[in-house]
Amino acid sequence: MELNFVSVEGNSKNYKIAAGVLAGLFLLGLICYGISYYKGHYLFGSSNVIPWGMPIVLTIYFIGLSAGSLILSTLVYVFGQEKYKPIGRMAVLLAIALIFGALIGIAIDLGRPENFWRLFMFFYLNNMTSMFAINGILYSGYFIISIAYLGIILSGNKLWMKRWGCLAIGWAAMVHMGTGAIFGFMEAREAWFTPIKPLEFLTAAVTSGVALLIVVLVLTMKFTGRDLRKDMVTSLSRLLTVFICVLTLLIFLDKITHLYAPERAAVMYSLTGQYAWVFWVLQIGLVVVLPLAILFNKKLKTIKWIFIAALSVVVGVFFERFFLVIPQAAFPQQYYPGHIEGVYGAVGRFTFTPVEMLISLGIFTMVGLLFLLGLKFLKALPEKTAEEVAAAAAKAAPPKIEEAVKADASAGTADAPPADNKPAQ
Amino acid sequence: MSRWGMVIDLDKCTGCQECTIACKEENNIPHGSPDEQIKRQDPYWHKVIAASEGEYPTAKTELVPMPCMHCDNPPCAMVCPCKATFKRHDGIVTQNFRRCIGCKYCMVACPYGARAYNYKEQEDLPYNRMDPPLRRDLIGFWPFPHRAHGMVEKCTFCFHRIEKAIMEGKEIGTEVVPACVEACPAHARVFGDLDDPESEVAKLLSNRTSIVLREGMGTRPKVHYLTK
Repeated sequence: MELNFVSVEGNSKNYKIAAGVLAGLFLLGLICYGISYYKGHYLFGSSNVIPWGMPIVLTIYFIGLSAGSLILSTLVYVFGQEKYKPIGRMAVLLAIALIFGALIGIAIDLGRPENFWRLFMFFYLNNMTSMFAINGILYSGYFIISIAYLGIILSGNKLWMKRWGCLAIGWAAMVHMGTGAIFGFMEAREAWFTPIKPLEFLTAAVTSGVALLIVVLVLTMKFTGRDLRKDMVTSLSRLLTVFICVLTLLIFLDKITHLYAPERAAVMYSLTGQYAWVFWVLQIGLVVVLPLAILFNKKLKTIKWIFIAALSVVVGVFFERFFLVIPQAAFPQQYYPGHIEGVYGAVGRFTFTPVEMLISLGIFTMVGLLFLLGLKFLKALPEKTAEEVAAAAAKAAPPKIEEAVKADASAGTADAPPADNKPAQ
Repeated sequence: MSRWGMVIDLDKCTGCQECTIACKEENNIPHGSPDEQIKRQDPYWHKVIAASEGEYPTAKTELVPMPCMHCDNPPCAMVCPCKATFKRHDGIVTQNFRRCIGCKYCMVACPYGARAYNYKEQEDLPYNRMDPPLRRDLIGFWPFPHRAHGMVEKCTFCFHRIEKAIMEGKEIGTEVVPACVEACPAHARVFGDLDDPESEVAKLLSNRTSIVLREGMGTRPKVHYLTK
């Protein structure tokens, strides 16, 4: 099946509104970041007990989504699963937008962001025993590899697509395992310390990657008036089911190892303490229970329900990251046997400050904006078929002026010659 | 080569927090409001914790002053991506502020909570001590007279005092000690060279039962505690 890709025109009212809102929120986030840089991190909710806050939650969330969607795009370009081809380019584009958001998240969490360059002086000014320095190589390499990968896909060189795809899939897996190692190797933080963490991160990444692809696929196809092929969504949902099961197993193993060992206070706290609902309701409920209940139900095999399941996974994995970074770090360390009195033995408090929330929103909107711009300037979407054009025309049949203009515009996109059309400016 | 270490007698400690205050004064550590202290955004290089065990009739409380442990195997230096935290040749774990990027990874890795982040811009107060004018060619990058927000700080065993004493030929451990040792009214703290068998710390460690905190972490701290 020969498939041509086009870019969206980006002249419709909806596109402009979406881009405008995202840009506005991004600017707001930028202003808040300026304030936090000038005033210091006391504007954030983090403290000496919970050192990392929302930017790091977003960073590992985005890295997971990015690695997951890049790994999935290689299904098309390396493993030759032609049925996923319509979403291959979009997945790579999404991966690039997300990894950029993740890098920005790291930079925002740094207290001295003007020293950011010191993270990239590999083997010279860097201490290479640090997981951060090792991840610096992985992240920057990943950024470059995924951009080159998109370039190769757009150029259409089949051989290099395959070769570079192999590199990209391996690198993406390493990127996310490295991110897991940042947390899993910290013996001082009892609840984090587990060798399973890298694998758990990788599985969570792929799970959220599939789920995000379903969500983006359904949304983009709907808003650009394209026909969604149901078999593609159902086969993706089958993949999603498998990954959710593996992820559940890994989470279970992680917790049971900690609970079985005598030093279980921190994990007991995270499972039964005051933030336990984040784990049970938002993580397990949204990532495991709700999606599996939908996906295993034969009656609910419609696009709408699969979309709901995927959305629930995407949101739930965010709370998995949140639970890892904030409530699991809150438990006080046992410096001395016995119960430590006062502030040094108290569970850490995390407040959601407006500045931090707006910055987080700014990172989110920046990723969305990058994706929208990517859709406009790169040929990432599959071309409309003749039936879709006809359907769009039929829809616009009652001749209202605006709708007719819109239909014209979208029909114009589809009619454009596929191989060498220039994106409309 | 000397290997600086500290011995704290838990039997003598009264928990008066003089060490904490002396450390704040000596190193010009920013002060914070009570609210910031409850939120744990107030930087401390030294803390005194109270660990209690048991129920009312048989309850007992142990006061444990905790400076940085200056581990022989420091996890913070292991994870610092920019070589900002490092172990010196004499075993003191210290950091170069110019290199710190404020990633807070060392705070995550430290099993003793010895590291504190500078959450806001502080008033640039002069150091509260009678120092000669700074000569960077002699003393290197420390003391850092101006600290910026967004960096992680920690106890340095007052190594500016040690280096000055070495230059002036004074004896360390008796004539010159870190600020917390000097301030302790109960003489619960002793500072000296762990490798020198004639030093007071070595004698105390060989004569009395001593422990280190969280030994299972394998960090090999150089701050030892004499038990009651």
